[in-house]
Amino acid sequence: MDSQKTKSLVPVLVVVVVAFALPLFVKQPFVLSLIIPAFIYSVVAMGWALIVRTGQFSMGQAAFMTIGAYISALSNIGWHLSPWITVLLAGFAAAAVALVLGMVVLRLGGIFFAIVTLGFGEIVRVVAMNWTDVTKGVYGLIPRPLSISIGGWSPNFVVSKVPYYYTSLVLLVIAALVFARIDRSNLGRIFRSVASNGSLSEHLGIYLMKYRVMAFTVAAFFAGIAGALFSHYLLFVGPTLFGLPESIMSLIMCTVGGLGSAVAGPIMGAMLLSISGDYLTSLLQGGKALVFGLLVVVIVFYLPGGLVDLKRHVRRVMDRVRGRASG
Amino acid sequence: MALLELRGVSKYFGSLAALDNVNLEVHQGELVGLVGPNGSGKTTLFNVITGIYRPTSGQIFYDGRNITGLRPDQIATRGLVRTFQSNIVFREATVLENVARACYLYARTNAWWAFFNTRAYRESERKIMQRAEELLEFWELGDVRNHVADGLSHGHQRRLGLAIAAAADPKLLLLDEPVSGMSGEEITVVMKHAQKLADMGITIVLVEHHVKTVVGFCQRLVALDYGRKIGDGKPKEVTAQKDVIAAYLGTEEVA
Repeated sequence: MDSQKTKSLVPVLVVVVVAFALPLFVKQPFVLSLIIPAFIYSVVAMGWALIVRTGQFSMGQAAFMTIGAYISALSNIGWHLSPWITVLLAGFAAAAVALVLGMVVLRLGGIFFAIVTLGFGEIVRVVAMNWTDVTKGVYGLIPRPLSISIGGWSPNFVVSKVPYYYTSLVLLVIAALVFARIDRSNLGRIFRSVASNGSLSEHLGIYLMKYRVMAFTVAAFFAGIAGALFSHYLLFVGPTLFGLPESIMSLIMCTVGGLGSAVAGPIMGAMLLSISGDYLTSLLQGGKALVFGLLVVVIVFYLPGGLVDLKRHVRRVMDRVRGRASG
Repeated sequence: MALLELRGVSKYFGSLAALDNVNLEVHQGELVGLVGPNGSGKTTLFNVITGIYRPTSGQIFYDGRNITGLRPDQIATRGLVRTFQSNIVFREATVLENVARACYLYARTNAWWAFFNTRAYRESERKIMQRAEELLEFWELGDVRNHVADGLSHGHQRRLGLAIAAAADPKLLLLDEPVSGMSGEEITVVMKHAQKLADMGITIVLVEHHVKTVVGFCQRLVALDYGRKIGDGKPKEVTAQKDVIAAYLGTEEVA
């Protein structure tokens, strides 16, 4: 059992090392600007995956990104708090909203919950658009960039993209560790019970609402932090920054990556879609939508298990090819 | 004091009385059989006791506390566990995984501590797996432990359903037709295990069509007809009652 765990750990460690070493070899800001959003969306996608793994379907991740971004910007600009603190605060604010919303709305089943979260996203957008006293409406807010000053070391978050690269990578690693831990622990087992058969789970003593709300809140926490970090990177927050397209993106990223997966699937899906989408958009307007649409269709038809299934699928195809060649 | 007490429990669906003023007491350690023709309200009674339905009138007491209107998970937490007539399991999971999931109440240590502390988490995980293995052995499901529940034979699936209920650490077990669709040999196996549970001190209420099974296993029989209790006493006496026989008239079970 332990040798099996070590085997699957090695490729992960390789990827992590490569990710941390990348900026040493790749200096073009353009490339880094493709990767940073991908890291951030990976975090949001993992949160969405957690909600799905309790049997629910949320269209609200973007709303929590928006809430996080605004809370962070407002407390940064208004109260002059350090962006590091405001980003964390953003997470807790988003989580608090999710807690209240979840307790009310998660009692509804499947499709109704999805619709309400979608509606909630729109409400957030409208509030951000119209509460101009606070949010400055369409003009938006301009949060301060992150900054660190320890002794003489003060990486420049404004001129170079590298510090944001590492910040978002660290966030991704921390989030991945948390979501992986949840998945492998008894809590993950409880979530799977709830998703598999709510009625049976109830009769085994599981309070469904508690765990549904828990997943929803944790996902919102990370979405809030992701949204806040993104806004400190873009140095802008606006009402349409994260909207319905971004909420749907979580769904597509997780589907492409592999719907059963808690960490690897969402990350792979997010990296592939975000990077190729943004790259294509730089060449061709609307490229992002094209990429998303195309990849979803390809995956659903040819690799329904998602990218996590790729190795097994390739092996099966190879076996079939070999079979035909010999027989 | 009775472990389970129903006082004047009625359940109406519109104008249809699924349960009509049922009074019932079950004492610790008893093995009670619940019989009656189809539609007499046996499963409805279980549904009302376990919180799926709220009774239209009347109250339910368990272990001295009023449990009327509580949620199913609250009731299960108190040790009142049931199985389902349709035999509900976690279809996509393996047998071992099914039982591990069912150990939820057993595993309920400090969840937060176990989350952050790797050693505590590994210990808790080990205990769950150990208990799951014990349950698999008890219910003779060891050789299908890695089979997906959905693909199991009927007999195996029913035993899994029972193992799941046993895993939830019951004090009072409500079994809803646990041997339906089984061969005589399989019935004997299951009833042997049910007897073992009873020997461990678990109180059992058993709904069963197959009156022979019930008479052999239960010390007491409760008969329902059209939602009303029409018999309550020793199996030999209840099955001899004219109205009980009449309720079953036309069916093969009572002979």
